Amino acid sequence: MSSLLVLNGSPRGSHSNSMCMMSPVIEGWKSSGAPEPEVLHLAQRGEFERAIEHFPAADTVLLGMPLYTDAMPALVKLYIEALAPYVESASQRDQKPTLGFLVQSGFEEALHSRPLEHYFEKLARRLGSPYAGTIVRGSGWSLPLMPENENRALVTHLRALGNQLARNRRFSEAELRVVAGTERFSPTAAAWLSLAFSSPAAIPNSHWDRALEKNNVWDRRYAAPYADALPT
Amino acid sequence: MRITILNGDPQADSAFCGYADGLTKRLASLGHTVEEIDLRNLDLKGCSGCFGCWVKTPGECVKRDDSARICRSAINSDLWVLASPITMGFTTALLKRAADQAIPLLHPYFVMDGGELHHRPRYARYPAIALLLGAGADADNEDIEITTEIWTSFARDFKSRLVCAAVAGRPIEEVADEFIACA
Ligand SMILES: Cc1cc2nc3c(=O)[nH]c(=O)nc-3n(C[C@H](O)[C@H](O)[C@H](O)COP(=O)(O)O)c2cc1C
Repeated sequence: MSSLLVLNGSPRGSHSNSMCMMSPVIEGWKSSGAPEPEVLHLAQRGEFERAIEHFPAADTVLLGMPLYTDAMPALVKLYIEALAPYVESASQRDQKPTLGFLVQSGFEEALHSRPLEHYFEKLARRLGSPYAGTIVRGSGWSLPLMPENENRALVTHLRALGNQLARNRRFSEAELRVVAGTERFSPTAAAWLSLAFSSPAAIPNSHWDRALEKNNVWDRRYAAPYADALPT
Repeated sequence: MRITILNGDPQADSAFCGYADGLTKRLASLGHTVEEIDLRNLDLKGCSGCFGCWVKTPGECVKRDDSARICRSAINSDLWVLASPITMGFTTALLKRAADQAIPLLHPYFVMDGGELHHRPRYARYPAIALLLGAGADADNEDIEITTEIWTSFARDFKSRLVCAAVAGRPIEEVADEFIACA
């Protein structure tokens, strides 16, 4: 029976959108009869170190994270740097973990995460590991916020991906495409959204307004504290 | 021109740092105002994803650390150089830490920009962005391409353009001229 090591790269730890999205993947993995995976949060001291130690012995590793400024969070890069010794020893090790990744982003379109996906495909090669693929999904904030019936289809597809990981050690392209959703907005959708976002009622923007109001700083929302330069 | 160079090399005495220092001197000798910030010497606590910089203390990280200095220097410059050796196929975690803590420079509101979702700018103008990469024996052309692709998206998110990506080792005068010409 093969083992799975699940690594959560969100700086927010266990209560994160990343973990929320990895849970159905883990359920799908278990539904194949594969054993309970070990789950480690890189943001947790002690678990970061354990994630480095347990890496080479795992059959499969799933590394999930939020997209941070179009790349992995610094925490995840720090972890990857700690794997450098395994690049050097790769040729001497018979067993190399299969690597799968999950990237969820704030923006809806999958296109924002594609450059990072290219990086992970190369990272697997660098580590001499088979590459299972990268699950990409936008609007990562919506999964914990939306009612269960709204999420049902997504959760089903994420489970299917977990099941594929256990059975084939590879995510299917078709399933990855479904989960990715909108790759890029059509010109019509983009025009409509431009209009929608210029209104104060735009859903993601009213979410920020509510948070600003709650903290009594809504009137300071346009603060530009560092614009102190002398003119050129 | 005002230039901010963020050096994300965790090692002080590397060939890469020597090169970055040489570039700083060269740019200054051409009459530009250059601030080279060695990130390894700063207190950067790292982003923990709280969004406080958008909803609690608008425009500033809630953590009191040196990230404010980075944001202030970058937003007031004409050219923002991100300098780092490539390790495990990408710029260092140290440089990424600074980039993650740069989101106070943006506004939380979503806007459409070029058919894509992005954030509303917080400032009237943003610096042009350039990359200075160190490519040792374990970095190949594909690593440089992927790294450049990611920072190109970063520049776009930061209301700017990646105007230049140079690999350390080329004649410093040439790289300095290139940075100035494209900024
Ligand atoms: C520092 C920082 C940078 C971010 N950069 C991006 C980005 O470039 N593109 C994007 O779509 N979302 C970006 N986000 C949004 C997160 O990816 C999103 O909120 C995610 O769901 C958070 O996941 P978590 O709860 O697992 O940490 C960023 C968030 C933070 C805090």
